[in-house]
Amino acid sequence: MSSETKKIDIPFNRVEGDLEVKVDVTDDTITDAWSCGTMYRGFEAMMTGRGPLDGLVITPRICGICSLTHLNAAAVALDRIAQVTLPDNAIRLRNVALMAETIQSDLRQAVLMYMADFTNHKAYQKHPLFKEAVARYQMLSGSSVVEVIRKTKRLIEIIAIIGGQWPHTSFMVPGGVTSIPYVPKLMQSRLIFNRFLEWYEKKVLGCTIARWQAVTTRKELAQWFEERPEHRDSEVGFFIRFAEKAGLDTYGRGNDHFLCFGNFPLPKDTAVTPRVPGTDQLTTPGFFRETEYLALDAASIKEDITCSWFEQKPVVSHPFDSVTRPYASGNMGKPYSWVKAPRYDGLPAETGPLAEAVMDRVPLFLDLIRNTGATALVRQLARITRPARLLPDMGTWIDELLAHHADPFYTPVKTIPDGQGAGMIQAARGALGHWVTIENSKISNYQVITPTAWNGSPRDGQNQPGPWESALKGTPVKDPDNPVEAGHVIRSFDPCMVCAVHIVKNEK
Amino acid sequence: MKTVYWLQGGGCGGDTYSLLSSDFMDVSELFTTLDLKLLWHPSLCSIDPAAHERLLTDIASGTTPLDILMVEGSIIFGPAGTGMFDTFRGRAKKELCHTLASHARYVVAVGTCAAFGGFGAGHAIEATGLQFTKKKKGGALGREFVSGSGMPVINLAGCPCHHDVIAGALMAVASDVPLELDRFQRPLEWYNTMVHQGCTRNEYHEYRVEESDFGEMGCLFFHMGCAGPLVPGPCNKLLWNRHSSKPRAGVPCFGCTSPDFPKSNPFFHTPNIEGIPLELPKGVNRAHYMVYKGMAAEAAPERLKKRSAKV
Repeated sequence: MSSETKKIDIPFNRVEGDLEVKVDVTDDTITDAWSCGTMYRGFEAMMTGRGPLDGLVITPRICGICSLTHLNAAAVALDRIAQVTLPDNAIRLRNVALMAETIQSDLRQAVLMYMADFTNHKAYQKHPLFKEAVARYQMLSGSSVVEVIRKTKRLIEIIAIIGGQWPHTSFMVPGGVTSIPYVPKLMQSRLIFNRFLEWYEKKVLGCTIARWQAVTTRKELAQWFEERPEHRDSEVGFFIRFAEKAGLDTYGRGNDHFLCFGNFPLPKDTAVTPRVPGTDQLTTPGFFRETEYLALDAASIKEDITCSWFEQKPVVSHPFDSVTRPYASGNMGKPYSWVKAPRYDGLPAETGPLAEAVMDRVPLFLDLIRNTGATALVRQLARITRPARLLPDMGTWIDELLAHHADPFYTPVKTIPDGQGAGMIQAARGALGHWVTIENSKISNYQVITPTAWNGSPRDGQNQPGPWESALKGTPVKDPDNPVEAGHVIRSFDPCMVCAVHIVKNEK
Repeated sequence: MKTVYWLQGGGCGGDTYSLLSSDFMDVSELFTTLDLKLLWHPSLCSIDPAAHERLLTDIASGTTPLDILMVEGSIIFGPAGTGMFDTFRGRAKKELCHTLASHARYVVAVGTCAAFGGFGAGHAIEATGLQFTKKKKGGALGREFVSGSGMPVINLAGCPCHHDVIAGALMAVASDVPLELDRFQRPLEWYNTMVHQGCTRNEYHEYRVEESDFGEMGCLFFHMGCAGPLVPGPCNKLLWNRHSSKPRAGVPCFGCTSPDFPKSNPFFHTPNIEGIPLELPKGVNRAHYMVYKGMAAEAAPERLKKRSAKV
């Protein structure tokens, strides 16, 4: 075996937008990695000088798969600036729509983006489950692919009922939402929800949500496997079987810092309770460092552009103070990406469904991490099973909407005053923040930090790699022309480069 | 069997996610029924990087025929015309677009970014559409461009483009059914009626019962910045995701099918002179409209003024 280090450039598809990763491979193992967002879109700068509400229309267009999430972050920032209290129904409608978007994203990512790699002929033709993987995940024809396209499309109808269309609506406005669906439409939403839930339990989990939630350790997961053939044949069961045989439980470990902004604020009058008592939202905000849970401190968030193609002094700043001016220096010098490097208290941090599970103290994931670390398998398992944690509360909120349909859904906000506000929420892929400054009734600064900027960030001034750059180290690459293993690691973070890439200020 | 290559430039992927809501036929069924082979789609393909390179070489040499090129997202020319703000393996993606378009039998711009430049037009990324930059003809492929079929670029405007329009256009080009285009090269099939058509708030518009704050249940055109009567599109005729549209849910139409979307004036606000919008419904005479709307407001029935309709 040669110990020579090979340099490979890997372009990625099934990533929203454009991503190329450069890796060093020694003895068939990745020894170093540089992640490069290859597109620059300049959205934030487009916002400067525009009307105070314009983020509600423009920012959803940053990403076609989580457009509502951007809308929500934009609306929350304006709620804060206007200091308005939302009616319970507005909170419920926003939450239900967001949950629908998150759940469609989790399932499409898992089946259309992630498991699609299991059909990679060159890499897996000798895998004992290869034939079944092809039957399930072949693009546009696999049985699971067809089902996921059909079922997620139905779930999204709930968003159209609430907000008019998906993607790219703007129904969340400061003070609430633009309208409340009338009763028969809410009942349709309930029925669409019921059908989706039934399918998710039967085909994705292979058991009831209650049974799945009872799996709290690695040992119990093994017992769950043996319990019934339905468990093994479900998407979750098949994923675990294929992934373990392919070794996905042995690599892809990030830097073990987890960040979560929290999500789904609770209405005043609701049967839904927070995951961790004492917070006013369903999923828990916070930062996890090694073994320690820390309360989220928004002032600890900084952007570092040492290795990004941007011009800014100082190179590290809080998003309220950041500017985004492109400065492409080609492949010379330190910069190598259009993605900035956000850091929490100076540290790179992983965000996403696994970070949520850690922050919400979900026992199974705490146990898995204790045993194997946050591998590609664990990270992806957290994603495909997250809907099990969201669906019951989504159903409760739809029922509460039906019970309270005559109540208000909007608190009038006549004008947006000058000021600063941040909308920090959880997108499907993790922590998303919009930092907005309004001056003279116009947007004077708009800064977005997306989950992929956290996960796919380049190195910073301390030379610390971003989470998936770290996670690639130690990943085996059997065939440099077909580096499917690197794909498993990066895709376990669910990269979205259209989000991560920044937008320029019009200097004219 | 016909071949399709789906190129993504500067965009958000929203048109792809719109297409996944295609209902008359699911995307997968649509491709099978039309006997289309998807050579490449950035989200819906699993061929490895080396195979993708070979495919591009084969298309460029004519070994693999390309029947339909679908382009989503704008073509990025920044900085300074180099295109290096959007690269594929170190090369500007605009060049890839050029190569593919010159071999395609049909070229379809999916969404307003691909058609007219959209969000990046007039900004530092120097975005253009395939054959227009906003209202100006030209764009990345040039004014005179025609694809192998003799058609210019077919512009499926919208941000995102409606799922049934993408599916419908695919059906047409896959079967060589001619599409009649308007002056911005949008197929009249879907772009010859205003978004206003089919809006459940039409009666409010008719009697000029106006919404001036969210949730009032009235017409959104006079104060809230709705472009429904100004721009063509099928949103209220075909409905989104089988159920609704933005105006039906109290969200103004932002005019996303127009070549100059997004305009620079603030959203959610109608520029007006003494309550009469500066831009009037397409083809309407200002004096006539003012008289008609004045009378209509006088004649408005109580039930509408009380905003009792469930819209």
